[in-house]
Amino acid sequence: MLIDLGWFSFDLFQITYDGVLLAVGGTAILAALGVVLCSSPIYSALYLIGHMICLAILFLMYGAEFIAAVQLIVYAGAVMILFLFIIALLGGKKESQSFDFHKFMALSFIGTVLAELALSARVGPTRPVTGIFDEKLIADVGNAKAIGLELYSKHLIPFELASCLLLVAGVGIICLSKFTYKPPQRRSN
Amino acid sequence: MIDGIFQFIDENTYLLLGIIKAVVIASALLGVVPLLVWLERRLMGRFQVRLGPNRVGPYGLGQPISDSIKLLFKESIIQNSADKFLFHLAPVVVVFTAIVSFAMIPMTGHFEFFDVKMGLWAANVNSGILFVFAISGMGIYGMVLAGLSSNNKYSLMGGLRSSAQMISYELTLGLAALCVIVHTGSLNLVDMVERQSSWPNALNILNPPLMIAFVLFFIAGIAETNRAPFDLPEAEQELVAGFHTEYTGMKFAMFFMGEYINMVTMSALITILFLGGWNSYILPDWAVVGFFVFAFKVSALLCVFIWLRSTFPRIRYDRLMTFGWKFLVPIAIINLFLGAAIRVI
Repeated sequence: MLIDLGWFSFDLFQITYDGVLLAVGGTAILAALGVVLCSSPIYSALYLIGHMICLAILFLMYGAEFIAAVQLIVYAGAVMILFLFIIALLGGKKESQSFDFHKFMALSFIGTVLAELALSARVGPTRPVTGIFDEKLIADVGNAKAIGLELYSKHLIPFELASCLLLVAGVGIICLSKFTYKPPQRRSN
Repeated sequence: MIDGIFQFIDENTYLLLGIIKAVVIASALLGVVPLLVWLERRLMGRFQVRLGPNRVGPYGLGQPISDSIKLLFKESIIQNSADKFLFHLAPVVVVFTAIVSFAMIPMTGHFEFFDVKMGLWAANVNSGILFVFAISGMGIYGMVLAGLSSNNKYSLMGGLRSSAQMISYELTLGLAALCVIVHTGSLNLVDMVERQSSWPNALNILNPPLMIAFVLFFIAGIAETNRAPFDLPEAEQELVAGFHTEYTGMKFAMFFMGEYINMVTMSALITILFLGGWNSYILPDWAVVGFFVFAFKVSALLCVFIWLRSTFPRIRYDRLMTFGWKFLVPIAIINLFLGAAIRVI
């Protein structure tokens, strides 16, 4: 929707979109800062969850629905719930850390963000790498299908190697956790 | 002035429709909760050979209204040792995720309304089923946070139990749904229903591997919604009331709102995945008829949920985990292989 004020005309949707994008991105940065600066482990984990959700929303706004859903399920859902689980089991107490470390982390973080901002202002808007898919084709076959086609044709061998690695890691976890455990001996009468 | 308004509506039909849909679906879901509570109490009464609430209004229909007024005016007590912010946040997370996850559920097919093609869903996302799982998975945080923030041993145990249980059964739920995804070849919920519209493919549940998937999905669905016999997070005998021990008034009721809305979402998901959605196969193919068929199927499933609650005793916690990991998950994986093999052949 184009709004014309005579001296200044703008697209209302585009401006709203950009505004929401900036707000979500800013929230993501604030949440990431919160993870580092917060002294209570529960709140730290919650900030990390918030950060992951912001990332998922960003993916969604850039039109990558499948990645957004996977981000929510895997990172914000499965991984972070384990974090919270462990914090709850161990009892999350507030820890007093030396303030200098915090300050250093936060300042370096802010510096990195500012440098990135300057860099992106210099380079201009980024363009997506489309490969064999252009936007029309992706809209045609759907997000998940496009990723599947690309993954199982062009990148088949790296994908299978990664799955082998995961399998080895899974077997390793079972070995580590299972075989050091000795069941309590039943007392013979 | 009026021309301007009409022009605005013409240009932004989709935006306005989206807002209206969101408001209608959210308020309808919240309105369904008291009705479900009434239905559950009446049906439980029948199952246990007693009357149930029947004094307030016809058939006791005024009971949920008086109950909600009571809950609204109750004093909200927060103990001193609680983490105030998280204590308030937890019920909000539960209700919010429950309502948002219903946004992806389609309730009837496309229809024309004033020359605008629309459907009765808030969002027809391309990978809809993943989004339902993703957002309903966020609901676990509500329970964990309630347990953590209450600063109470029983609450903490309830929260931990709920997270462990829901992670375990989410696996079975996902694997069973994957069977349907392999069968349909799409992540879109509307596509899934439309695949079942004609006879050779009608009713996914009649397909052998999907039959097993249906049973698995149903069991895992009951565990996901924390309903009896899997209501371990709030087992009264062991944990007082689990994660919501310390909650009073409306905040206490919000946990139940979340639970009942999750029940509706789960029933709707089962209907879409396995029972043919809004296809009735005999009635005329109108959108209105489709909606009523869908509502009928969902309410029948809700009655089964309530029936199960009054039939089975609660199972022991270690049995629940063993049942999930050593029985349901292997069957789900084998079933997925079977379904994929049949699909390829």
